[in-house]
Parts: sequence; C-alpha cells; structure tokens
Amino acid sequence: MYDVCIVGSGAGGSPIAYELSNAGFNVVVLEKGANYREEDFNKDELAVSRRDMFTPPLKEQYHIINEYDSSGEVTTYSGKESGWNFWNGSLVGGSSNLMSGYFHRMKPKDFKLLSTYGKIEGSNVVDWCISYDELEPYYDKVEKVVGVSGEVVEHKFQEPRSSANFPYPCLETNGVTKWFDKACKELAFDSMPTPRAVLSQNALGRNGCYYSNFCGSYGCSSGAKSSGRAALLQKCNAKVITDAFVYKLESKEGRVTKAHYYTKHKIKHTINAKIFVLSAQAIESSRLLLNSKSAEFPDGLANSSGALGKNLIFSAGGSGSGRFIFENLTKEQREELMQVGVFFNRSLQDWYEYEEAQKSYKGGTIDFLFEHQNIIPRASREMYDEDGNLLWGEKLAEKIHKRLTTSRVLTFEVFNDWLPTDKCSVGVAESAKDKWGIPVGVINLNSHPHDLKVGEHLAQKAVEVLEKMGAVEIEYSISSSPPPNLIAGGCRFGNDPKTSVLDKNCKAHDLENLYVTDASFMPTGGSVPYTWTIYANSFRVAEVIKSQLKE
Amino acid sequence: MQESWRRRNFLKVGFLSSVVFVMSGCKLFNISTLKESIDVVQNDLFPKAKELGIDTSGYLNRVILHHSRIREEDKLFLKNGVKWLNERAVEIYNQNYTKLSSSSRQEVLKDISKTKWGENWIYTMNRYIFEAMLGDPIYGGNNSEAGWKWLAFEGGKPRPTKEYL
Repeated sequence: MYDVCIVGSGAGGSPIAYELSNAGFNVVVLEKGANYREEDFNKDELAVSRRDMFTPPLKEQYHIINEYDSSGEVTTYSGKESGWNFWNGSLVGGSSNLMSGYFHRMKPKDFKLLSTYGKIEGSNVVDWCISYDELEPYYDKVEKVVGVSGEVVEHKFQEPRSSANFPYPCLETNGVTKWFDKACKELAFDSMPTPRAVLSQNALGRNGCYYSNFCGSYGCSSGAKSSGRAALLQKCNAKVITDAFVYKLESKEGRVTKAHYYTKHKIKHTINAKIFVLSAQAIESSRLLLNSKSAEFPDGLANSSGALGKNLIFSAGGSGSGRFIFENLTKEQREELMQVGVFFNRSLQDWYEYEEAQKSYKGGTIDFLFEHQNIIPRASREMYDEDGNLLWGEKLAEKIHKRLTTSRVLTFEVFNDWLPTDKCSVGVAESAKDKWGIPVGVINLNSHPHDLKVGEHLAQKAVEVLEKMGAVEIEYSISSSPPPNLIAGGCRFGNDPKTSVLDKNCKAHDLENLYVTDASFMPTGGSVPYTWTIYANSFRVAEVIKSQLKE
Repeated sequence: MQESWRRRNFLKVGFLSSVVFVMSGCKLFNISTLKESIDVVQNDLFPKAKELGIDTSGYLNRVILHHSRIREEDKLFLKNGVKWLNERAVEIYNQNYTKLSSSSRQEVLKDISKTKWGENWIYTMNRYIFEAMLGDPIYGGNNSEAGWKWLAFEGGKPRPTKEYL
C-alpha cells in the first residue's frame, strides 16, 4: 500500500509528490497522459498548435457544454462535434509544461472580496477561509523551489513579501520595453517587469532559458520553464504511472480506499493508499467525484453539502493588440521591434482596485506581450482585406509579406475576477460517455455582467498605453467567453461543511483521507493567472498531509 | 515493418487518384481527379508556393487527408469542395475547372467565395497551403525552408526529428 496516491501530476499534484516523497513517504502519481523529458520536446508548430498533440482527441474524450446567455437561454454544444476544447495538457506535469508562466501572486484583498467590496447581486462571492498571510510563505517557497524570475518594483498594489526580491533576475527583454516604460512614465502608470516561472540562469539543477522564441503552448527543451515536471517530479522519487485514467475513487466508512484506473487499452488497475490527493484539473476533479457515487455518497463522493461542482470560475477579461509599422519608425526602432527570442515581460496593476462614481471596484492585471510567434496563424490572419473580403493569390501573398516583415503586433491580456454564479458549474452527462464508457463532464457556462464592466475599464487603460507608444490598428475584445486554460472552483474550501466541499486544509469535509489540491478549492480566483497560487496552496497542504501521515 | 510502411504510402498516394464525379443536373458530366483539380486550384489560390518550389498538394494528400487528428467530416469537406468547385465551373462555363482559362478560373473562385461553403473552403485550403509552406520541412512542404526564408522567419529550435501524424 502506498502512503499517498495523487491523481494528476500538474501544478496541484507535483508539490505534494515532491514534498512527501522527499520526506520519505511512499508516493504514487497517476497521470492520464504520457511522460516527456526535456529532450523529447521540440518546436513543431503543426504538432503542438495545429494538431493539439498534448490534449486528448475530442472524438474520444470531450465535454458537453451548456452556455447560458444573459437572458437565461441555454445553448448546448458537444465538444466532439463543435470542437470546443477544454483540455489543457495531458502529460506528466500537466499544462504547467505548456504555460507561458506569467506569475502574479493574489493580493491580500483577494482573500476577502466579500467583506472588502460587499455583495454583488447575482454572484456567490465569499471570503476565503485563509488569509494572504497564511499563504505568503508558500508563495515565497514557490519562487525559490519551483523558480520564479523577476524584479520587485514598488507600486500602489505591491503585495507584502517575506523576501525582498525574486531569487532569479529578470529574463532578457526586447528593446520595445523601453518604449513601453517611457509611455507609462508619461501617463503616470507604474510599469512593472512581469514575474515569470522561467529560470533566467542555470539553477536548481536545471538549465536557464535559451530564448527559443516559442515558450507558451510548447514544452521547454532546457528545463528553464518551471513546470511541475521539470521543477518537482524530476527532482524526487515519487513513482509516476502514465497512461492511467482514474475513473472512480472507492470509499468505505468515511475513507477513500482505492483509486481505479484504465489504461488507454481499457486494462483496469487499482491502487491502494492511506491518503488520496485529487489534482486532475478543476473540471475533471469534480467530474471524478461526481462519477464516484456510492451508497454512502449517492450524489457523488464528498458531496454531502451538494456544493460539489458548483461555483466554477474562469478568468474574466479578454485581450487586445496594437501594431507597430516600419513607416512610423526609425531604423534603430525597426531593429528593436524585430528582435525575436527575448521577452516583452511588462505588466500593469495600477487598477487592481479603482474608484468610479465614488465606489471602490476590484480591478485586475494587464500583461503585455508580443503576438505569439506561431507563423501559420499570423499568416492566416491576413486572409481578409480591410473591407472584410476574402483574399487569395498575389494580393494575399503581398499582404502577408508586408505585414509579417515590416510590422509587429504587441498584445495585452486582461485578467479580472470571474464572479461565481449559480449557473456556472460542473456536472456529468449520464448519456454521453468517453472512450472508456465513463460519463463525460458537463460544463455549465455563465458569466456575470459585472465581469465585463471591469474588463472594459482595464482594457481602455491598456489602449492608452498602446496609443502613447505609437501603435496603430489598436483593438480589443472583452467578452464572457471562458479561457479554457484558466479554470478554478467546483470544490470550494470553507469552514462550513454545509456550504463547502473542502475544509481549510483542502481535505474533504466528508472523508478522513481525501484532499483536492488543483484550482478546484478556490472560491474566487483573484485577478491574476492561477498557477502560482495552485503551486503555493499545494505546498501548504503538503505540510498538513505530512503531519497526518506522521500521526 | 518496411512493407507495411510501403503499403500505407501506396494507399495514401492512391487517395488523390480517386475520381470525382462532377454532376450537371442529373447527368454525369465529366470525370476529374482530385489531384488534378487540387494542383490547379491551389496554384490559383496561392501561386507563391509553387514559385518557392513547395509541394502543397502533396502535403495535403500525404499528411492532412490521412491525419489521425483531423476529423473525417473535415477531410470530406475538402474533397466535396473540389466536386462543388467543378460543378459550379460546369454550370457557368460548361467546362471542368481545370479546363478553364486562368481568368475564368478566377471568376469561378470569386463566384464561390460569395457562398458560405465556398468562402469556408477557400479559407481552409489556404490554411493548409500555409501549413505546407510554413510548417516544419519534415512534413514534406517548406522545401529547404523556402517558406520561412520568404518571410524572414526562423523556425523554433529544437526542430522535430519525426512527424506527428
């Protein structure tokens, strides 16, 4: 029997594996996908971005998606037919292999949204049952153990830190960041280097970044990207079993006793352990618990509260862009603009909280980055002329050549809170099964109108910067479409077993030995990407599990 | 192993040789091959590829129409589009697409681009042309990185050492 069985090997599972196996416990990790090491990754755009090699084929594994519009009307999509894909990365280390690694901490007020900003009608916002101060030591630990590079710059919403600065210096940046910093200074905005989960130098037994020009979406060939695989699983003795799709957790008398899994060839296996940790990604963790019904838990494992699958959240906001064209630039500026490989790495958090009509609003973060270097979508985006007519032939070739060789697009991404609501949740579809015959997850999508209002406010600030920098063709889109790589909630933690699935240590209220450590526990998501918080919380929970095992 | 590889490639080569029945009303009008039509229409849609020595129809046949990650209905749409293109050419000019003059072929493309299927088909065809031109040369297109050189683009490293099919 194992001491600990972890389901899922991403940012939620890997810190548990690292901490407990290094403490001498016998740990097994079950991962649905395959294992890749640094030498296995490459920059094959066709495989990675066009053929989705790291996510399951939708004809075999998919979701049913119910999309609610503002009037409450629902439209249902099958992922199999529509191609709507909510998978992120089925491989050892999960999607942390494929992230861009824009790392921001949540801020103290993010832990008490309800008591700070009051109730927003139609939303289910609650305060977290832990404070920023309780999580801070683990944010700090992630910087040092997993690896975060950056530079602390004082600004209005800089969160308290136990270490003065990041342990690894900033990654190299493109010359255009100087234009950005100048524009921000003129606008009295506080430009800050974006902290990145990418090592800027050799450290932690890993190589530093080699500036491949293809970071987000791709696995890292040097080990610089701080994935759960490179930073943690490859640095510990936890046993990782790949090709293991866990379809049921069996329980008896308040304890999980077994994890049942299938291989891709439908061979069944069982794992026994003292403690089980679920970290399969927010949607899949709720799905597994809902599919693990028993006489004791007829509505799904750990679901005596009825809260399981509820209050699913994403990151609200959207994205925008502006183009810099050679005609408006000096020779030196043109060279700076076209310098590839190095990063842009600039963020703004000036409006993490803002006032409007004498009322305080929770705002968010804006990250700036160059348009992704994938060349096929960049060429494809030129297929229409200014009047919306489809182009082909010589005209299209001329347009592509001019746009791609004499201009470059700077983009921005807005992150603000996706307010939890009754209609945004995870369920299971008894009538729709995956290739193993297991009911697929149902994703009920609904966004609160407040999310759009805040996103709009932030996007307009980003536009001001692009205008000041001299960009043209500035545009943005703030929408309620959910980013499939920024998912949280479904197994809320809280102090009341009647309204939450997990306790403050992310242990199921209903079971003695079941923990959930992916983003499922989060009642609200902050206005930042989630990965740093998932890592930090998982290190925190690892301490609790260690104590439980020692008892 | 080697034999099965050969067999698979033989089957792949065979796909574009399959005939397309072009209908005019209820009557079978003409027989064209997919390969002949695709060769011509891809050159009409993006002549730069041929100029750079890149075999886009070979990529479509060998990689896309047999790829495990591309849905069967999407493959069928590509093939049906060739049939509908030819049917429209027959309706307008009483000739198969490949038999028309360059200017007449452009007129047919303009005509179908105004339909929903036609716009989608041209867009999709061009997208696969770009894949052939700008994907890694290991897939048989982007000959000597000619597509990347045209756009002063340097592919990411490390490069793949085998195709993902």
